Amino acid sequence: MDPRRSIPVSLFFTCLADAFYPRTAFAAVEVLERFGATVRVPLSQTCCGQPAFNSGNRKEARAMARKFLLSFPGDGYIVSPSGSCAAMVKHGYPVLFRDEPRTLALAHAVGERVYELSQFLVEVLGVTDPKSDFSGKVTYHDSCHLRRGLGVVEAPRTLLRAIRGVEFVEMEESDRCCGFGGVFSLKYPQISCRMTEHKVERIVATGASWVTSGDLGCLMNIDGMISRVGYPVKAIHLAEILAGGPAEPAPGTAGKGTP
Amino acid sequence: MQPTAHLFPRNAQKALADKTLQAALGRATGRFLHHRAEAVAAFPGFGEARERASEIKRQTLAQLDHHLGRFIEEASRRGAVVHVARDAAQAREIAARVAKEEGVTLAVKSKSMASEEISFNVALQEAGIEVVESDLGEYIIQLAGEAPSHIIAPAVHKTREEISRLFERKLGEPPTDSIPALVAMARRHLRAKFLGAGMGVSGANFLVADTGSVVLVTNEGNGRMGTVLPRVHLAVAGIEKVIPRMSDLPTFLRLLPRSASGQPLSSYVSVLTGTRREGDAEGPEKMHILLLDCGRSAILEGKYREVLKCIRCGACLNSCPVYQSVGGHAYGWVYSGPIGAVLTPLLVGLPEAAPLPDASTLCGACGEVCPVKIPLPDFLLELRADMRSQGLKTPGEIAGMKGYAGVMKRAGLLEALERVAGLLAQFFTKGKPVEGLPYPFSGWTERRDFPAAAAQPFRKLWKTRRGVQG
Amino acid sequence: MRDVDEREMLFRRLSAALGRHGSPGGTPSSPAGPTPPPGKESGRISRFAEALTAVGGVVLSGTPEEALPVLGEALRAEGVSALFFPQDDAGAREVAEALIPFGPFTLTTGEEVRGGNPASTAGFRTADAGIAETGTVVESSNRGGTLLPGLLSDVHVALLPSHSVVERMDEAFALYAEDPPRNISLISGPSKTADIEQTLTVGAHGPRKIIVLLV
Ligand code: SF4
Repeated sequence: MDPRRSIPVSLFFTCLADAFYPRTAFAAVEVLERFGATVRVPLSQTCCGQPAFNSGNRKEARAMARKFLLSFPGDGYIVSPSGSCAAMVKHGYPVLFRDEPRTLALAHAVGERVYELSQFLVEVLGVTDPKSDFSGKVTYHDSCHLRRGLGVVEAPRTLLRAIRGVEFVEMEESDRCCGFGGVFSLKYPQISCRMTEHKVERIVATGASWVTSGDLGCLMNIDGMISRVGYPVKAIHLAEILAGGPAEPAPGTAGKGTP
Repeated sequence: MQPTAHLFPRNAQKALADKTLQAALGRATGRFLHHRAEAVAAFPGFGEARERASEIKRQTLAQLDHHLGRFIEEASRRGAVVHVARDAAQAREIAARVAKEEGVTLAVKSKSMASEEISFNVALQEAGIEVVESDLGEYIIQLAGEAPSHIIAPAVHKTREEISRLFERKLGEPPTDSIPALVAMARRHLRAKFLGAGMGVSGANFLVADTGSVVLVTNEGNGRMGTVLPRVHLAVAGIEKVIPRMSDLPTFLRLLPRSASGQPLSSYVSVLTGTRREGDAEGPEKMHILLLDCGRSAILEGKYREVLKCIRCGACLNSCPVYQSVGGHAYGWVYSGPIGAVLTPLLVGLPEAAPLPDASTLCGACGEVCPVKIPLPDFLLELRADMRSQGLKTPGEIAGMKGYAGVMKRAGLLEALERVAGLLAQFFTKGKPVEGLPYPFSGWTERRDFPAAAAQPFRKLWKTRRGVQG
Repeated sequence: MRDVDEREMLFRRLSAALGRHGSPGGTPSSPAGPTPPPGKESGRISRFAEALTAVGGVVLSGTPEEALPVLGEALRAEGVSALFFPQDDAGAREVAEALIPFGPFTLTTGEEVRGGNPASTAGFRTADAGIAETGTVVESSNRGGTLLPGLLSDVHVALLPSHSVVERMDEAFALYAEDPPRNISLISGPSKTADIEQTLTVGAHGPRKIIVLLV
C-alpha cells in the first residue's frame, strides 16, 4: 500500500482495555499507525452494551448502543482490538433496533465501518508482514465471536506466522470456547471453569510460552486460571505481539511468579 | 416426561462431579464431533444440501397446514389411521386406547423423542401393557429405570461393568466384560420380544406428505424389526416432521447421519407407507399414526418458528462445550444441549425451564453445525430477552444492569469510577490479580484470578499522552 | 369421531399460527432445488462396491464358479449353519442350493426363523436396486417381496443385478414414487450399535454381516 496515503481510523478501544488493559489499546494504536492509519480516539465512547444484550436486558443495551452510535460519527473505519465487541455492533445492534427503522439504518451504516484489528490489518490494509520484533513460541485461541461471529480465521494466523521471531503452534480445538461467555461465567462459574480448564490444558500441551487471541474477554478468563494455577505460559493480546511485546508484564501476571 | 429443567444448576454441578460421566462425555462427544467433521469434509455437497434442507423445511413450515393435510390424506388413503393429539395427556389417552382396542399386551418401541415428551411408556403401562425399549441404549436405560440423556446415544454415561451388573440383575445373564457379549445378550432378549409383540411403536424421522410415508433411520435395525414383525405399527411423531415429497428425502438423508454420527448413511432407512398390502409376505395389518401438537402450533406462530426445522441429529449437542461438560440429564427434559435449551422452554414454558437459556456462552458452535441452519444462538438471546419481559429475572440482575447502563451513559462518570477502581486496586492488591471477589462475582474467583483495574484507565492515559481529540 | 374433531381443531390452530383467515387456501409451493446431476455411467459398480466395503459390507462378483466357494467360506467363517430364501425368489434359491456342497449348511425357511429357529442363519434375497452414492442395497415389499432374509438372519446375502445399481438415492426413490409399497428398506452395512462405551459392535438386532453378490 501507499505509505503516503492516510487512512482515518477511529479506535473502538472496548471497556476491558479501558479499565484493565490500557496497554492493549496503546498497542493497537501503535500497529495501526505503523501501517499508515491516522488514529482518532473518540473519548465519548463507553461500552457497546454487549453484557446487557447478551443477558437479555435489551432496554439497557439499547441505551448503551445509542450512545455508541453517536460516539462514532462520520464515515471512517472503526477498528477494535476485540472480535466480540465488533460483532456486537455488526450483528447485535440490528437485532436491538429491528423495530426502529431510523436507528436501524444508522446501526447498519456504523456496523459496516467496524473491523476487528487483525481483520482490518490483513483485509483492508493488506498487511502481510506486521514488522514486529516479538520473539517466542506462541499459540492462538480463536475467540468465538471473532471466528464464528465475524468469520475471521486466517488473518491473525497470517500475521503471527509472518513474525520472524515467532514460532507459531496450533493448539488442539483452538476454536473451542474458553468458557468465558460474559455473564455466563458468573451465572455458571463451575461449568465455565470446566471449559476454561479444558482450554488451558490444550494451551499448556502445546508447550508455547505465550497464548494469544483477538479478545481480551477470553484472555482475561484464560489468564485468570493460568495465574491461579501457575502454569508456565503467559496470555497476551495479539495487538501487543504485533506491537512488539508487552511494555508491561503480561495481563494478570503482574508481580506473580512467572517463569 | 416430567420436566425438571428448573433444577439445571444443581444437576449440572452433580454432573461435573461425576467422574465416570465426565470421561464418557469427553470420549463420546469428541468421537461424534470428529466423525462428523470428517464426513462433512469428505462430502462436497454438504453445504448445498444444508442450504436446500433448510429452505425446504422453512417453506414447509410456512405452509404446514397444507403439507400436514396432504400427509394425513395420503397416509389414510393407504390404510393408516391418523390420530391427532393437542397435548401430552391426550396423546397418552389415544395411545393407550389404540393399544387396548388392538388387543396388545406387549409393545416393542424404537427410539422416539416425541414419545418421551408424552411419557408414552407410562401411558401404556398404566393400561396394563408392557412396553420394551428396543434401541440398545434405551433398553439399558429402561432396565436401569432412568431417563435417556442423549438424542443419539442414551446410555453414554454407563460403563460395561455397570451394564453387565444390570443384565445380571435384570436378565439373569452371567457377568462379562465383553461388549459383543453384552450386545448379543440384549439381542437375544429383544429378539424374543420382537417376535412376541403385538405392536411395534416407532417415532418418525420424517413424514412424507406426497406419499403418506413414515421414515425411520436407524443403525441397529430395531426400527425395522418393530415395523415388519408385529401385527400393529404405531408411529408417534411431532407435526413438524413433515417434508413435502419423497424426492426431498435424499437431501435430508445426506445430512442426518453425517451430522449425527459421521456416517454417509445409517445402516437402515425404512420408508413405511400404509398397511401391508394384499399379497404381501409380512408387515403390519394395522398402522396408526399419532401426530403431536403439544405446543408446536404455538411455536409456529411466533419468532421461534425455525426451531421446528430440527431433524434431531444431535450435532448441536456434541459441538456444545456446555453439553460436553454436563451431559444430557442436567437439562431435565427430553431434549438437551442447545436444542434443548431452546426447545424445552418453548414446549414446557419459560418459567419451568428458566435456567436453560442462560446455560450457554453464545459461542456459536451449535449454529455452525446445525444441518438445517437453525439460529440457535440467536434464539437463546431472544429467550433471555423474553425472560426479562416476562418478569423472570432477579431484581438484583435488573438493578445491576440499570446501574451499569446508567454509568455508561456518561463517559466522565465512567472515567471517575475507573480511577477509583484503579486506586482501590493499587491500595488492596498493589496492582496484582485479585484472588477473591464478593458475590455476585465470587464464582469467578473460585478457581480463577481476576485482573486488577489499571491504575489509570486508557481514556485518561490517552488524554495525558496525546491530548483530547474528540 | 373425536379424532376428526381434534384434527379440525389442529388445522384451525395451524391456520391461525400461519396468519391465515378461514380455511387453508392457495396451493402449497414446492421448494424446488437443483436437480441432482445424472450419475456417471462408468465406474458405478466400483463406486457402489467401494462405498459398501467402506461401511463393512462385502461385495462379491465373478462367475458362480468363482463366487460360490468364496461365499461358502465366508458363511462358514461366520458360523452360519442354515440358509433361507424367499420361496418365490428363483435366483436366491439357486445360489443357496448351490452353496450346500460348500457347507455344512442346511436349508430352512423364513417362517421357521421367524418362529424362533435358533440356528445361525444366512438369509438370501434378490435386491430391488443398489445405490452407488452410499453403497446401499434397496429391498422392498414390492410385489409381495419378503424382507425377512435381510432382517432376521445373522448374515444377509443380497443378490444384486449389476444393471439395477443406480448412482444416487434420488433415482432409487424414484422407482417407487408412483405407488410406494408398504416397506422400502435401504440397507447400508451391518446392523450395528455403539451404545455401550461408544464401541462399535455389529449384529445389534439384524445381520452382523452383509454380503452382496453381483449378478
Ligand atoms: S438443532 Fe440442528 S444440530 Fe441440533 S439436533 Fe436439531 S437439527 Fe441437529
